[in-house]
Amino acid sequence: MDELDQVIHTPARLRIVVTLAALSDGDTLSFTRLQEILDLTPGNLITHLRKLEDARYIESEKSGNGTASCTSVTLTPQGRAALTTYTDTLRNLLGSPPAPTRDQAA
Amino acid sequence: MPGTHDIEETTEANDGDEMDPREAARLLAQAEREVRRQFDLSPPWITALGGGVILVAYGALWLSVRGQHPYTGPSLGAIAIVYGALVVSMAVTVKVYRRATAGVKGPAVRQQQVEGVAILVSFILGSPVLQGALRHYGAGDAIVYGVIPAAAPLIIVGTTVVGIAASKSDWPQFAAALAVVIGGAVAAFAGPSGAWLAAGISMFVGVLVYAVVRARLQHV
Repeated sequence: MDELDQVIHTPARLRIVVTLAALSDGDTLSFTRLQEILDLTPGNLITHLRKLEDARYIESEKSGNGTASCTSVTLTPQGRAALTTYTDTLRNLLGSPPAPTRDQAA
Repeated sequence: MPGTHDIEETTEANDGDEMDPREAARLLAQAEREVRRQFDLSPPWITALGGGVILVAYGALWLSVRGQHPYTGPSLGAIAIVYGALVVSMAVTVKVYRRATAGVKGPAVRQQQVEGVAILVSFILGSPVLQGALRHYGAGDAIVYGVIPAAAPLIIVGTTVVGIAASKSDWPQFAAALAVVIGGAVAAFAGPSGAWLAAGISMFVGVLVYAVVRARLQHV
């Protein structure tokens, strides 16, 4: 329980997961908007996204062709659960009570 | 990840410096605040500004009808102020909405759009239909151009928003909308002139309290 998930435990990937977790279930975010929010270079962002995708924490989808193509990403249920576990572990390590989950808060 | 035009380069991602738990917690809280701000459909300061605009618009209507005997309704100047405020408010709302939902797709966004249409329809149709019906049955100017246009939109639109907020368990929005509905009910019995003042004050208070609550929640 006290082992932080190393897939999430980097500044960039933590911010990516938190950003995607703010969306409602089933909603997707475009790569360009995600990049704008996080202020990462495209190459840096895509490499972090690949690591998250390899862990099945996110899914990506490409729509359109050529110059009109667009990639969007979404957090999977596993990714959302991983963030909850990560947050709880963090609070445990810091000696704080667990925060309510999004559903409990709502 | 499939390659696309918006992903042109790949470099080795730097996993970053080692984060200790305290630093991770700080970054987590900071990221949550930032993302709430990014996706916020009704930023508190714009909501509060909207409350001020409502107060000024309804204040202008009240000043234009105050002391009218017999009651003939708001002046054209006051109505122009209201419509001007309405146009500016709608433009700001659309801009904020587009900014917040840029790049976001999915069922929740479609749901928000449907909710927006429901609110717009209730605003556009609710009061005018009642005014027309009451005029048809011989009601006087005090009712048709005073009590109903002041109170009915609050009750009709407010009730619509109460339902939407309840369905999302958005209790601050629910409370603000309920306060507006109650304000509309008070306005309905405040007389043709007083109705505008009661409506303006109740909407201002409801919107302002909502803005303050949202601002506090964003900083928790």
